[in-house]
Amino acid sequence: MTRYLVARVLQAVIAVFFALTAVFFLVRITGDPVILFLPLDVQPKDITEFRHLLGFDQPVWVQYGTFLGRALHGDFGASLRYRAPALPLVLQRFPATVKLAVVSLALVAAGAVPIGVVSASHRGSLVDTLGIAVTALGQAVPGFWLGLMLIWIFGVWLRWFPVSGYGDWTHFVLPALTLAAFYAAQIARVTRSAVLDALGQDYVRTARAKGMSEPNVLARHVLKNAAIPVVTVFGLNAGQLLGGAVVTETIFAWPGLGGYILNALLGRDFPVVMVGVLFTSLIYVTMNFLVDLSYLWLNPQVRYG
Amino acid sequence: MKRSAVILLMFGLGTLLLPAGIVAQTKPTQVTIGIGSEPLTLMGATIVDWTTNAQLENIYDLLFTRDPKDERIVPWLATGYKVVDDKTWEVTLRRDVRFHDRERFDASSVKFTFDYLLDPKNKTHYLPRFKRVQSVEVVNDSTVRFRTSEPYPSLLNDLSLPGPFMLAPVYVQKVGIEYASSHPIGTGPYKFKEWVRGERLVLTKNPDYWAGPVKIDTVIFRVIPEFSARLAALLSGEIDVMKDVPPQAVDTVNRSGRATVRSTVSSRINYLALETLHPGPMQNVKVRQAINYAVDVDELIKTVLAGQSTRICDYVSRFDPAYTPAVKCYGYNPDKAKQLLVEAGFDPGKLTLTLDTPTGRYPLDKEVSEAIAAQLGKIGLTVHVQVNEWRSHLDKIINRKVGDMFFLGWGPDLEPTGTIAQLFVGSLTYSSFGDPKIEEMIHKAEQITNPQANAAAYQKIQEALQPMAPWVPLWQQHDLYGVATWIKWQPRPDEKVWMWEATAK
Amino acid sequence: MGRPVRGPALAGMAIVLAALGCAFLAPYLAPYNPTAASFAAVLRPPSHAHPFGTDQLGRDVLSRVIFGARIALLVGIVTVVVAGLVGCSLGLASGYFGGWCDAVIMRVADVQLSFPFILLALTINAIIGAGLRNIIASLVIAGWPLYVRVVRGEVLALRNREYVQAAVATGAAVGRIILRHVLPNVTTPIIVISTLQVSQFIIAEATISFLGFGIQPPAAAWGTMVADGRNYIFFAWWLSAFPGAALALTALGVNLTGDWLRDTLDPRLRT
Repeated sequence: MTRYLVARVLQAVIAVFFALTAVFFLVRITGDPVILFLPLDVQPKDITEFRHLLGFDQPVWVQYGTFLGRALHGDFGASLRYRAPALPLVLQRFPATVKLAVVSLALVAAGAVPIGVVSASHRGSLVDTLGIAVTALGQAVPGFWLGLMLIWIFGVWLRWFPVSGYGDWTHFVLPALTLAAFYAAQIARVTRSAVLDALGQDYVRTARAKGMSEPNVLARHVLKNAAIPVVTVFGLNAGQLLGGAVVTETIFAWPGLGGYILNALLGRDFPVVMVGVLFTSLIYVTMNFLVDLSYLWLNPQVRYG
Repeated sequence: MKRSAVILLMFGLGTLLLPAGIVAQTKPTQVTIGIGSEPLTLMGATIVDWTTNAQLENIYDLLFTRDPKDERIVPWLATGYKVVDDKTWEVTLRRDVRFHDRERFDASSVKFTFDYLLDPKNKTHYLPRFKRVQSVEVVNDSTVRFRTSEPYPSLLNDLSLPGPFMLAPVYVQKVGIEYASSHPIGTGPYKFKEWVRGERLVLTKNPDYWAGPVKIDTVIFRVIPEFSARLAALLSGEIDVMKDVPPQAVDTVNRSGRATVRSTVSSRINYLALETLHPGPMQNVKVRQAINYAVDVDELIKTVLAGQSTRICDYVSRFDPAYTPAVKCYGYNPDKAKQLLVEAGFDPGKLTLTLDTPTGRYPLDKEVSEAIAAQLGKIGLTVHVQVNEWRSHLDKIINRKVGDMFFLGWGPDLEPTGTIAQLFVGSLTYSSFGDPKIEEMIHKAEQITNPQANAAAYQKIQEALQPMAPWVPLWQQHDLYGVATWIKWQPRPDEKVWMWEATAK
Repeated sequence: MGRPVRGPALAGMAIVLAALGCAFLAPYLAPYNPTAASFAAVLRPPSHAHPFGTDQLGRDVLSRVIFGARIALLVGIVTVVVAGLVGCSLGLASGYFGGWCDAVIMRVADVQLSFPFILLALTINAIIGAGLRNIIASLVIAGWPLYVRVVRGEVLALRNREYVQAAVATGAAVGRIILRHVLPNVTTPIIVISTLQVSQFIIAEATISFLGFGIQPPAAAWGTMVADGRNYIFFAWWLSAFPGAALALTALGVNLTGDWLRDTLDPRLRT
């Protein structure tokens, strides 16, 4: 067990390191960003001077070494765009993304799972068909389009919710729906098939034969056993929220991490990009790690070699 | 007894109502401006960026500024200037001006600002621009001297545009540059109140502003990067001001009852550059002239921009002293265009060109580029439009990897050394054209300090450029601002969003 | 293949056929030239002459949506084929050669799989640039790991079977072994995965185009059209609504068809 954990931690560290290195070199292939941070009326020799001031005239290996050395001390340099230390800038954007993710996850758990259960237990009925249709649509509709349509219908036309920005609970509704949609559809489907599978098992037939009521059957036997695949998919794909966040944050002007890193990438603000990649990969591997742990806990029969 | 009681009662009531009356009259006014990106720093004289400077302009002041109507340079924190000799400028300063922390503004503030700006350690964007300033000397409390390493005719112009804003030496030295970059102190009409990064900047009025009373009490700059969200916010009353309403939305805004579109002819020009700095068909002057004949600029203005642009036929805006109506437009003549192409040895039906354009940077830039491609298609040319993200667009131009033509805007264009001298010298960053004769004329013109002679020299340069057809000159943008109906404010051609000029109706 | 084709599957296949029809027959189906700008008819709402309205350059939106099917399906199918080929080859190599080769390939696949697909593709495009070729490249790079595991698993399972070991012992060529034993068993899961991936790739391309790294104008790509229409959502909702609906519908059709395929071919793969 311990050996397994250590191996996973090591693998996580390697993954993060790999990501950082890959992005570091790839981004520098696109040329140096110095010019992008200077005004339009700049002269060529000033560009050279600035390049030297910012350290971009050194060979890539040297730059990499400097970066690593400083990073180990927690110094990620200053944002080229904002002239302020990169790490605090990125950290500042955390709360907005985390809050949105939490709300979305809550929506998924509170919405998708019940839909899946109801759909499965009323298999073949109108409710079931409706559930299937909605979830199929949920997995087909692209997030960016859903967000725009929600803005248009509920923000512009009906004026029920604000169309952008970060504020009180009303600001969370549309972005959270957009972010949660695909994921919720997925979870609903998985829940439905897991419940269906469980319903078909022997122990359910036995329980029914013994005269147990349907809700009791569901509660006592079905849900517990259906939980494993559902939780697995839930955990494995929670990371999707981070990916979807980039699009959602862009559309809704959400001051979060995803949009910030994207802009830094576009603007070649290298220090911010590196911090961003570090955080994103850390979040990723941590989540995967937690999922593995929870899987272990949920289903102790599984052996890891 | 009764009467006196009534009088007393009325008096008492009156006294009670009086404060209510005063309060009703002086309800605090607040203007929320929707802006596309947040300020990069709150320290003046550091970064060149429109959004940053638009916000800083309300906190700090410059030595000189521009008249909102004709853009002529007027003294601001300075009271006047004198050219002592070729390399020395003397500037006299206003007395009795104080920073928000009550420290005095005087010659030492100017010296401090320029020492900061020119120090390589600070890596300010103004270092390259003010490179020719060797030092700033304090002559006395209200006089400074700028010593330059070579003649610097556009010094005044550079001092009048954002932003070598005047910094507060005592404050900055006390709290340090990093703190001062997020808690600014200036001499301007508004004091810093709060900055939530990525969300909003809140400013409150400076009751002791030296230039006069500040009429709007609070100014909030709210960051809304998504353009349609900004429009939505304007229409719902969440924000009061936004820049760059698209021409097609003008009716929607005007009919909304909440805001109206105020427009001004901007000093920013848009043009289609014909790239000659790498091998290609554009290196042939007849091809360039043909393109000029094949693009129907008036149709572009009428249909794509809904009339919201003012055409230019020369290479600068009307606010630029070098503007000259003597340089005439080529005029739309597709037959002549085809003929010229044939003379140049090309078959219009077989020629393929690329047009690089940014998107969302200038009003309808991508749409205009696509329309130009369609127009060129009418004479048989195949034009591939390459839409670039802004930074890639600049990258391509700088590295001369851009296509045969590219769309760009330049401004505020208020004098020729910032425009012509930058764009028609082959070795300079954003140039697309180089010609030894032109470059020599530019070099000579850059040395002329007398303003009229300077302008005349640049007019001659433009007249020489016209037959060489380096660009298809397009227009001066119209800046369309959506402004709430209760605000009295007129937009400026130099794109300053200066809330000191605003009042509530 | 004994399962009857029920409602949803039928609808799905009909949609896919319609999309394919649009892609192949676009020039005959589209009422107007999709790149023909008409400055007199800018931003017209849906009408009899233009059922989906016109865009900011006066181009007919319906025609552009029909032509958009070409790019969507091209990207979806080509990417799946290339990613599939790459993934399968690497999976075969990984399973067959084992050792070092296996370790490296699987580690890279794992690391890649642990990152969100769209972020990976987006980062690659942000670096290598936009355009059709680059999008396919980034989607292939982000997408190949999905196939590796399946193929590798199959190869490993087979390696230990007696008849395979016998074949190896008798000196039969590697190629023939793979062809005769591995591929047939791998085909079913690959087909199922691929079908479901087509819609993912189509949406991913649209998302990347939406964020600005995509297909260049004047080509009509659905994602680019939705992005362009974003600024006009206030007073010209049809610019974004129709291309996006086409995207959603196509993805839905492919998903439903893929589900049916999976249920028919190998119900074990239900997730």
